[in-house]
Amino acid sequence: MEKSIDKRSEKIISIIALILIMGFLILPFYWMISTAFKDNSVIFRLPPEWFPLKPTLDNFRKLFSEPFFLVYYKNSIIVSMGATVVSMVAAMFAGYAFSRFKFKFKNQFLMLILSTQMFPVISLLIALYGMYSKYNLLNTRLGLVIATTTASLPFCIIMIKGFFDEIPISLEEAGKIDGASRFGILFRIIFPLSKPGLLAVGMYTFLLAWDDLLYALTLVTKDEIRTLPTGISIRYLGELAYDWSSVMTVSVVATVPILVLFLFLQKYMIAGLTAGAVKG
Amino acid sequence: MLKKWTKHKQERLKDKLFIAMLILPAGFLLCFAIFIPIVKSIYYSFFDYSLLRISEKSFTGLANYFDAIKDGDFFTSLKVTLIYVFVVVVIEFVIGIILALLLNRNFKGRKIIRSVVLIPWIVPTIVVALLWMWIFQADYGVLNYIFVKLGVLSENKKWVSEPDLALSAVMIAALWRQLPFMATMLLAGMQGIPTSMLEAAKIDGAGRVQLFFRIILPFMKKVINTVTLVAIIENFKMFPMFWIMTGGGPMDRTTTLAILSYRTSFVELNLGKGAAIGVMWLMLLVVISVLYNKLFSDKESEGMN
Repeated sequence: MEKSIDKRSEKIISIIALILIMGFLILPFYWMISTAFKDNSVIFRLPPEWFPLKPTLDNFRKLFSEPFFLVYYKNSIIVSMGATVVSMVAAMFAGYAFSRFKFKFKNQFLMLILSTQMFPVISLLIALYGMYSKYNLLNTRLGLVIATTTASLPFCIIMIKGFFDEIPISLEEAGKIDGASRFGILFRIIFPLSKPGLLAVGMYTFLLAWDDLLYALTLVTKDEIRTLPTGISIRYLGELAYDWSSVMTVSVVATVPILVLFLFLQKYMIAGLTAGAVKG
Repeated sequence: MLKKWTKHKQERLKDKLFIAMLILPAGFLLCFAIFIPIVKSIYYSFFDYSLLRISEKSFTGLANYFDAIKDGDFFTSLKVTLIYVFVVVVIEFVIGIILALLLNRNFKGRKIIRSVVLIPWIVPTIVVALLWMWIFQADYGVLNYIFVKLGVLSENKKWVSEPDLALSAVMIAALWRQLPFMATMLLAGMQGIPTSMLEAAKIDGAGRVQLFFRIILPFMKKVINTVTLVAIIENFKMFPMFWIMTGGGPMDRTTTLAILSYRTSFVELNLGKGAAIGVMWLMLLVVISVLYNKLFSDKESEGMN
């Protein structure tokens, strides 16, 4: 009898705890979306309108008619996609080498690659700024692609190495006997088998590149090269009175591409990250 | 025999060439944008080097270091950084493991809930900062309204611009974004515990609490070590949340090392001093990581004895 009461109260407590934590995680997200659909005259009302009674698309219309916004959006997409492609290729190659071959200082190299995560980004930027200006990479999308790629590359290599480690080596030996070249084995046998890993790497890089503020803030000063984070911070911050429904609208729109990617790829993403973090 | 041997040698050479080609793209990128800059940055820290006269550098030894320490800015921002990192990571870990335990239970729709939980993590950091600024907004923010209505607060607070509250405001926003990732990783580690082990402990009469402290936590030690270290390093580097929400203010109460080094290098344009701050920060982080890993491995050997 006592035990069943114990079990029931435990169940109730855990349900309450779950609801509280979920509320903390979900309600702010809901608030962002609902604010984006409200008219500016409504959002300054107290008590707040918990649910938009007269939802409006005006904010979105206004946003998409701003030429600068479309430029930032386009730049963000180009830079993030570029970084994704480059880091998928570079991580696949390097991860394969680290997974399949033995060579001198291999573990030291891996440690060195991992240790880059500790480097303060601003220290890098102090020198990178001069280098970029020397090689004409300041104010270019290519420069941002290189910077954001290298930010995600170390973890990508570790992550994809984990995937390669799981692929039995006997598959490759069969290919070798059939006379396939080394690159042939990589592209025809290993590549198709490691698609989940590559997707995880790609999604991770896209997420990081899309999120970048610091590189874009320092390496880009021209408005036509700006990405969303810097663009938003320059256009919508610094004024005393914020146009909150516009700010939340641009926030929603900036989140949508990642949300879509996440909905399709979350299975791979979670598998990749847990493999990387739990093993590494 | 000899022929076979030379062929073998040839294959090994080809292997080496292949490895080199595989590593080249990543190696080049990492050297260009990370390794060379970090070495250069360490070198610059010993020079009087300003963005205003980028071509002139003069060697000044440790002057930048003394300068940074003498200001007092370095230690105040170090203190802010350490408080921020410690509080966020500890709370994140505690709530994260509670959430992981809850999500590890058997209930209907847990798969959907596990995905929904991750949503804040995919929201861009700058959006998280803006969203929480709106929630914290002094006059029309929803948080003040609710807290005043519930009687938690007697009057509206200026969360982001009040010296005593600003850091907590940033912490809450950071926690919101990072908690999902932490919980998901911990859940993955928890699922790696063999059920036979849990069953055996239950048969031996272990209660819930014992099960958690004696079996679950020790088993997850490696995962916990990794994810918390990642969280420490990431939060040490946190820049956008502070830059957008507070810019380091009010009265430098949220000026972290990241903000200080950015401001010194790219607002005051004193690259040499900025580099010196970066070097001290890096050394500190290396020491922290080594000690942290040691802390975890020592416990392991204790457990073995």
